[in-house]
Amino acid sequence: MLHSSSAPSQSSWKDGLRSKLLAIPPATILILWSAFTIFAFIWIVVASFKDNRELFANAWALPTAIHWENYVKAWAIARMGHYFVNSLVVVSISTFLIVAVSAPAAYVLGRVSFPGRHLLTNTFVVGMGVPYQVLLVPLFVLLTRIGLVDSLPGLIVVYVALSLPFTIFLLISFFASLPSELEDAAAIDGANEYQVFYRVMLPLASPGIITAGIFNFIGLWNEYMLALVMLNDQNKRTLSLALYGLQGSMQYTADWTGLFAGVVIVMVPTFILFLILSEYVIAGITLGATKG
Amino acid sequence: VRLSAQRFLREGQMRKERKRLIIPFLLPAAILYTVFFIYPTVDALRMATFDWSGFTPTGDFIGLANFQELLHDEVYWSTLKFTVMILLAGGVMIFGMAFLFTAILSSGMWGPFSKKVFRAILFFPNVVATVALATLWAFIYNRNFGLLNSFFEMIGIEKLSKVTWTGPGLITWAVLIAMVWIYVGFYLVLLLAGVDKISPELFDAAKVEGANQLQVFVNITIPLLWDVLTVAVVFWGITAIKQFEFMYAFAGIRPPREIWTTAVYMYVLSFGKRDAVFRMGYGTAVAVTLLILVAIFVVVARRLMRREVVQF
Repeated sequence: MLHSSSAPSQSSWKDGLRSKLLAIPPATILILWSAFTIFAFIWIVVASFKDNRELFANAWALPTAIHWENYVKAWAIARMGHYFVNSLVVVSISTFLIVAVSAPAAYVLGRVSFPGRHLLTNTFVVGMGVPYQVLLVPLFVLLTRIGLVDSLPGLIVVYVALSLPFTIFLLISFFASLPSELEDAAAIDGANEYQVFYRVMLPLASPGIITAGIFNFIGLWNEYMLALVMLNDQNKRTLSLALYGLQGSMQYTADWTGLFAGVVIVMVPTFILFLILSEYVIAGITLGATKG
Repeated sequence: VRLSAQRFLREGQMRKERKRLIIPFLLPAAILYTVFFIYPTVDALRMATFDWSGFTPTGDFIGLANFQELLHDEVYWSTLKFTVMILLAGGVMIFGMAFLFTAILSSGMWGPFSKKVFRAILFFPNVVATVALATLWAFIYNRNFGLLNSFFEMIGIEKLSKVTWTGPGLITWAVLIAMVWIYVGFYLVLLLAGVDKISPELFDAAKVEGANQLQVFVNITIPLLWDVLTVAVVFWGITAIKQFEFMYAFAGIRPPREIWTTAVYMYVLSFGKRDAVFRMGYGTAVAVTLLILVAIFVVVARRLMRREVVQF
C-alpha cells in the first residue's frame, strides 16, 4: 500500500489501476469531510459578521456589510473581554504549575529505579480512567472546607491536580526515550543531580515539555464543566463558561450572530496555537500510544 | 568494555546522587494528587452511601440504598442507554471512519504534505472548545434557519428541509453524528502514527509477493496496528463514558432528556440549578457507576483484544 513502486509487469499494472479505482470512493469521502470541516469554521466566522436578520433570511449568503458590532457586544456587553483575561490568567498559571510539578516527577519515575516505582507510576496513570463526575461533589466540598470554592486559585488547584495523570504519563515516555549518555557524561564531569536535570535532561525533553504545556493549555482553555461546578460569582467566569452562559441567554435574545462572535473569540487562541504548534499537539497524542 | 576504577566509582555515586532526587521531585506531585485526586475519589465512595442535600454539614448514612434506588430509576437507565449508545454506536462509526481515512492516507495516493494537511484539518475540532462546537451544531440543525435545512431547500429537496433534526428520535443521532465529526480526527492521528511505525519493507515485500491493497491492509496493517488500536479503544471508552459538555450545551439552557448522558444526569442531580434537586449523595452514586463502567469496559476491551504477539 505504501510506496507504490510500479513494477513494469502487466498484472501489477492492472492491479494498480484497480486499487486506484477502489480508492476513489473513500478518497471522495475524505475530501468532502475535510471540505465540510473547513467550511463549517469559515462559515461561523463569516456569520459572526452578519446581522441576525440576514442570518435568518439566508444562512448561506455572504454578509452585505461587516457588522463589527457583534464583536463589540460580545466583548464589552457580554463581557467576553473580562472573561478572556480570567481564562488567560487561570489557564496560563495552571499550565505552568502542571508542567513544573509533573516534569520532575516524570523524570524520577521514568529514569531512576527505586522500589515502588511501578506502583507509584500506575497510581498516577490510573487516574486517567477516573471520570471527573466522581470527583465533582467531593472536590466541591473539599474546596468549600478550605475556603477555595468560588475562587480562581481554587479552580487552578483543581485544574492542576486533575491534569497530573495524563501529563505525568506523557512526560514519563518522553524522559524514558532520552539517551542516557549525556546524563552520564554530565555527571562524570562533576555536575550534581540537580544540574543534570535542569541543565541537561530538561532541555533535552523540551519537545515533551512544550507538548505537555500546549496540550494542557488547549484542554483547560476549552473546558467549562469544572468551572461551572467550582465557580458561582459571574465576575470569575472563565471564557468557555461565559460562552456557555451566553448560549443560555440566547434562548431569550435569539441573538445568534452575537453568540457566533463569542464562539470566534473563544476559538481564536487555540486556533493560533494549533496553527503554529500542530506538530507538538499531534506528537502528544501519538507518543503515549505508540511507544515501545 | 573496560571501565576505569575511577569511572566505576563515579557511576555508583551518580546512581546514589540521582536517588536523592526521588523525594523532592515526587513530593509536590504526590501531595497534590493525594489531596485533590485520591482523597476525593475515596470520599466519593463514602458519599455514595449517604443521603445528603449539601445544605447540612453531614447527611444520613443509608448504606447501599442509593444504588438500590438506581435500579428502579428510569431516568438513570435511559441516560445510561444513551451513554452506551455513544460508546458503542459512536465508537463503531468513529473507528470505521478513522480506519477508512487511515487506509486512504497511507496508500501513497497523496504525498506527505497533503497527508499532514488532511490530518490537521480532521483533527482541528479537537482543539476547539466543546461549547463552541455545540453552538455550531445547534445552528446546523436549527429547524427554521439552520444550515442543513436551508441547504436542502436550496437544492430543492423540500421534504428534508422541513425535518426537525433535533426532534424526538432524531436528536440522539444528530448528536452522535456531531460526536463522530469531532472525534474521528483524534483516532485518525493515533492510527496513522501506528501505520507510520510499520517498516516500509514489509509493504514492499507484500507487494512483491503479489498482495493487493486490501490484503495488505487486513494481513499486515491491522495486525501490526493492534497495540495502538487497543490503546485507542481504551481511550475512547474513557472519553465516551464521561461525555458531558457537548450534550449539556447543545440545546440551550435545558437539554432535552433524550440526550442526557449519565454524566449530565449526575450534574443535574447534584448541582443543576434549573431543577434544583441537590441530591449530592445520590448524584455521586450515579458517578460511581460511571467509574465501574469504565473499569468494566477497560477490562473487557483488553481481554477481547488480547492476542498472540505478531512478529515478522
